[in-house]
Amino acid sequence: MGCSSSLPDRSAGRLSGLNNAENSGVPDAKNLRVKLVLLGDSGVGKSCIVLRFVRGQFDPTSKVVTVGASFLSQTIALQDSTTVKFEIWDTAGQERYAALAPLYYRGAGVAVIVYDITSPESFTKAQYWVKELQKHGSPDIVMALVGNKADLHENREVPVQDGIDYAEKNGMFFIETSAKTADNINQLFEEIAKRLPRPSSS
Amino acid sequence: MSLDSSSSSSSGDEYIEENPNSNPKMVDERFEVLTLTEPVELESNHRGDGSEIENGSLNRERNGGDEDDDRLRVENQEIFGDAGPSSPSSSGYAGERGSSSATSASRIDEASEIDDNEIREVRNDGSLEGISDSQASSWVPGKRHIDEDDASISWRKRKKHFFILSNSGKPIYSRYGDEHKLAGFSATLQAIISFVENGGDRVKLVKAGKHQVVFLVKGPIYLVCISCTEEPFESLKGQLELIYGQMILILTKSINRCFEKNPKFDMTPLLGGTDVVFSSLIHSFSWNPATFLHAYTCLPLAYATRQAAGAILQDVADSGVLFAILMCKHKVISLVGAQKASLHPDDMLLLSNFVMSSESFRTSESFSPICLPRYNPMAFLYAYVHFLDVDTYLMLLTTSSDAFYHLKDCRIRIEMVLLKSNVLSEVQRSMIDGGMRVEDLPIDPLPRFGSSPHLGQQRPPTDSPERPTEPFIGIGGPAGLWHFIYRSIYLDQYVSSEFSPPLNSPRQQKRLYRAYQRLFASMHDKGIGPHKTQFRRDENCVLLCWVTQDFELYAAFDPLADKALAIKTCNRVCQWVKDVENEIFLQGASPFSW
Ligand SMILES: Nc1nc2c(ncn2[C@@H]2O[C@H](COP(=O)(O)OP(=O)(O)O)[C@@H](O)[C@H]2O)c(=O)[nH]1
Ligand SMILES: [Mg+2]
Repeated sequence: MGCSSSLPDRSAGRLSGLNNAENSGVPDAKNLRVKLVLLGDSGVGKSCIVLRFVRGQFDPTSKVVTVGASFLSQTIALQDSTTVKFEIWDTAGQERYAALAPLYYRGAGVAVIVYDITSPESFTKAQYWVKELQKHGSPDIVMALVGNKADLHENREVPVQDGIDYAEKNGMFFIETSAKTADNINQLFEEIAKRLPRPSSS
Repeated sequence: MSLDSSSSSSSGDEYIEENPNSNPKMVDERFEVLTLTEPVELESNHRGDGSEIENGSLNRERNGGDEDDDRLRVENQEIFGDAGPSSPSSSGYAGERGSSSATSASRIDEASEIDDNEIREVRNDGSLEGISDSQASSWVPGKRHIDEDDASISWRKRKKHFFILSNSGKPIYSRYGDEHKLAGFSATLQAIISFVENGGDRVKLVKAGKHQVVFLVKGPIYLVCISCTEEPFESLKGQLELIYGQMILILTKSINRCFEKNPKFDMTPLLGGTDVVFSSLIHSFSWNPATFLHAYTCLPLAYATRQAAGAILQDVADSGVLFAILMCKHKVISLVGAQKASLHPDDMLLLSNFVMSSESFRTSESFSPICLPRYNPMAFLYAYVHFLDVDTYLMLLTTSSDAFYHLKDCRIRIEMVLLKSNVLSEVQRSMIDGGMRVEDLPIDPLPRFGSSPHLGQQRPPTDSPERPTEPFIGIGGPAGLWHFIYRSIYLDQYVSSEFSPPLNSPRQQKRLYRAYQRLFASMHDKGIGPHKTQFRRDENCVLLCWVTQDFELYAAFDPLADKALAIKTCNRVCQWVKDVENEIFLQGASPFSW
């Protein structure tokens, strides 16, 4: 053990929430890069949202339980010709990783907190994550509340209005999505991109 | 980097207790001192056979470095009949107790009818994969029979159950059935264990008819195996140790604190989603010899190819990575550790099982906390895992929780070098070509300093058009050799020959592994003292085991194989392994090479 001290100290800068074209070292207001973390109960569809966004896929037969956290990235172009590169941490929702969550949300510029509209427990869990981030996340973090599995509206147990109200009270952006039908998936990430703080272009 | 050979050879090492518990019952694992061993006849059997086996051991005098001394000599003693102390009721070996070497002598003619040339012609066509591959692909991961509980007849009929429970009787894991429905059964197990513990003893084995019940107590965690598979106690105990290790790998031993705070603590949510990890480990008990050999195996590769992989991993290790491991399925391509850090083969087994059984690692690169129970059971390490192709994956372990981006950079560098130096394509080729095949055992010892020998030099290229397409009936290698496993004690590595006819079915292969496992257990039984050779014949096969300071050889032959020829063949196998050791083993991984 004890090799951490010998690690090159290059991670510090990289973990900061919003980083502009870090490799070139020149700040670039047109090309943003942001660390985004997905949080929420196990099974609400976090991995499906990411895979739909990054790879355009949805496999209803897949039963892949996330271990630890997966890392994926995707760049989108906005109307004003800026690009945003999302470095996405898809975390495992299991309880054993709860204590390790700070590892993933530390320094994140964006937190996407997901619940399943058919599961009130997952909505409760989402509120837990919101509080946790308000306490321990970066102060200027952009937070989004996502009600996923909107295609299952016959089984809805969390009213849309509850989501809207809670998000509003906590200064969050709210959207309902379906990873299955791809409904609102791109919109989610575009809206987040628009809300990112821009570096002053001077 | 290196593996600590001293601790790996014993199967039942306890995990180090970091914080000696104040509860006197748990201060240490006093298996030897306070042990209730049932039944008594196990004990007497044990003693009775000890001398017999010792007498039967071949005298191998070591006179400093004489090469001939590493030869297995033909001697008259033959050990028959006994399955060793741990499976007194074993039917397997009882058949020929007391038969003499005359029996085998009369078979010489039969055996020598098998012409060497014939054997050479019968070659594996390359379509037969190792058991690991063929079995792993037919095996469906995940827990089966979730609807069962202890009231179901089907549940009761299962041959081998594994349970994890807490010392308050709360179920944590069950191989079959839903843990929550097994609460009553769990409580019963807990009652048995605590009843005996309160009397100052520690229960470890109960025999009931065909069934063995093996208990393992690890602080607040109890592990139980109920089996009618006739595996030796030591093997089952070793399997429970691995299951416990797998749990520690996922959670660390700090879970013990949860039980200190709340004895009724429910651990199942903490293991949510890990059923596949445990069921895959339990499945590997019947196909992966690493589970009882406590050694790892390498993918066969040209020396230069493995060197190229090792060099780039070393580069990365020097930049602050604790362990850099490149594997293909359960086989090591190369591995490197930071200075003084050594990786136990059991930790490698548990880590690769964890990674291979969790589908999540295949979808994208990931960074996850894991614990290596033999390295440090109390602390999490962080594992960067990335699959380079379907079977090949890189694991970079670090103690630093913010090292992800550094490890990602390391991986990009490693991947580039591996592609440029064709390591990945060589890996693919090795996967197709397979490893050592008994049919390829060289007839004459290869010239010591001749052209470098290769594993499959006599084999036609796998894509050769004239390669036989229809399945053929084979008779194995020379002298009726069917299969062998060679374990290098110094390297902590083993090599196992590919399965070839007549060991076709997974069932036969599993039976052979069980037989090896029994041999391993009896060879390592501390009670009967070290013995060096065993020769066992039954109606299924001949098994020959030979243990020296440097290696262990386990070989299986046709049941009619001639003993003298078999011994000679074993010597040739050892020579062959030496001749190709640069391709089948990872060299220079010893602790002293730093
Ligand atoms: N109907 C429906 N099912 C979904 C949707 N998103 C995910 N699922 C299903 O929900 C289950 C859990 O999804 P997963 O992404 O693994 O959840 P995670 O644990 O939050 O990552 C899977 O069986 C998915 O098929 C969705 O939008 N609609
Ligand atoms: Mg997931």
